[in-house]
Amino acid sequence: MAELTAFTYQPGVSILHHLDVRMKLALVAAASLISLRLDFAGIGLMALPLLAAAAGCRRSVRVPAGELRWIGLLLAFVFTARMLSTAGTPIISVLALDITREGLREGSLVCLRLVLVFLVGTLLMATTRPTEIKAGVQWFLKPLPFVPAERIGTMLGLLVRFIPVIFEEVARVSDAQRARAVENCRNPLRRAAKLGIPIMSRVFERSDHLALAMAARCYSEHRTQPALRAVLKDWVLFCLCCGWLAVMLAV
Amino acid sequence: MDAIIEIDDLTHRFADGTVGLDGVTLEIEAGAFVVIAGANGSGKTTLLRHLNGLLMPTSGSVRVAGVCVQENPMQSRVLVGMVFQDADSQIVGETVRDDVAFGPENIRLDRVEIDRRVGEALSATGLMHLADKRPHFLSGGEKRRLAIAGILAMRPRVIVFDEPFANLDYPGVRQVLDQILRQHRAGCTIIVTTHDLEKVLAHADRLIFMREGRIEGDGPPPALIARAEANGVRHPRAVHFGLEALSWLN
Repeated sequence: MAELTAFTYQPGVSILHHLDVRMKLALVAAASLISLRLDFAGIGLMALPLLAAAAGCRRSVRVPAGELRWIGLLLAFVFTARMLSTAGTPIISVLALDITREGLREGSLVCLRLVLVFLVGTLLMATTRPTEIKAGVQWFLKPLPFVPAERIGTMLGLLVRFIPVIFEEVARVSDAQRARAVENCRNPLRRAAKLGIPIMSRVFERSDHLALAMAARCYSEHRTQPALRAVLKDWVLFCLCCGWLAVMLAV
Repeated sequence: MDAIIEIDDLTHRFADGTVGLDGVTLEIEAGAFVVIAGANGSGKTTLLRHLNGLLMPTSGSVRVAGVCVQENPMQSRVLVGMVFQDADSQIVGETVRDDVAFGPENIRLDRVEIDRRVGEALSATGLMHLADKRPHFLSGGEKRRLAIAGILAMRPRVIVFDEPFANLDYPGVRQVLDQILRQHRAGCTIIVTTHDLEKVLAHADRLIFMREGRIEGDGPPPALIARAEANGVRHPRAVHFGLEALSWLN
């Protein structure tokens, strides 16, 4: 399942790989929030450095684009909902529903923002080990009173670990069903049910095995954490990125 | 030699009422090389999982190096390293190096000691050149060696292998067998479960047959091998021809 890469760490030596995880998390959060305010031009401007960063860490940008099909359904749903629910100048009317010019614009904009957030997220995942993400989240949560930072960090670490497992199982079951001509079944609901049940069963089974293997190696919430260290190079890059985000916000 | 594993009247009953183990009593000496053989469902894996507290007895007790597993499962997991049948489900790290470091990080060693142990384990298993690769790109034999490296980094006294040769090609079997023998020579107690005696019997000094959760035979391999097929295990080919079991490494 090596082809499933959007949600997995890709070992490398790029500047993003070496950037302190706390800075990466802060930048991801800021970029995601700012993207909510961007219009088409802003999204284009924001996407340029991200694509450059993806190229810089020798990560093929075609890979996450190809894997966008997994969130294609979500994007289609969001686009349709926006298109039909935004008031404005009607272009076509179907069954008392108006598709408006403004709706098309809004739907496209929201979908592009989601794609941008997806790209930011995949860059984080591709250049950061799950253990570092866990340690970074714990670092941010630690000062908060009554928040079980280690437990939340562990849950996040496990979630990050399990996303590729789930995708692997989806691909495996999907291949097995295609080998038995599932494409001949035209009913999408029936196909979804036939796909969903074995996937759930396999994912739970894999989770059991993984949990057992982790327990056999003494897994607990209290582990030696990766050393978090910010050097001058990290601060320079962080300040540059913050400057760029401030420009985006101002534009 | 002193017994490193002491199992006393061990019974395990699963939630659905199935008896997995039925009154198993066993002692294994430190430094021994034991093969536990039996058909699928005979209780081999269930027995192994009691050695490090992944399963707890319904009755009876298990002690490893004097430590009661029920009372101290975490310590028993450091003492007993377990290599699972499916190496893929044992891999938890995003790179080979991360995966080997997983165990030492869990037992809260400091970073310098973790790095030292990871380096030693990778060198011992011949995986140093793959340290920064993603484990999913490794071959079957390399994945199994990675699982062994992950265990070695915790410096266990006993290593148990659950069907270590399953789904491996010939070079993979030889690589894994070589690793098992190296660890035995280094002083580890080795326990291997299998339903395929051919690949490992030549190196074992004790053979145990299991059937329906009970010990059906226990002794030196030459004395016991004639009972293999009665216990659902195929005879090694050499034994068919009246010869001693042959090593796959020769």
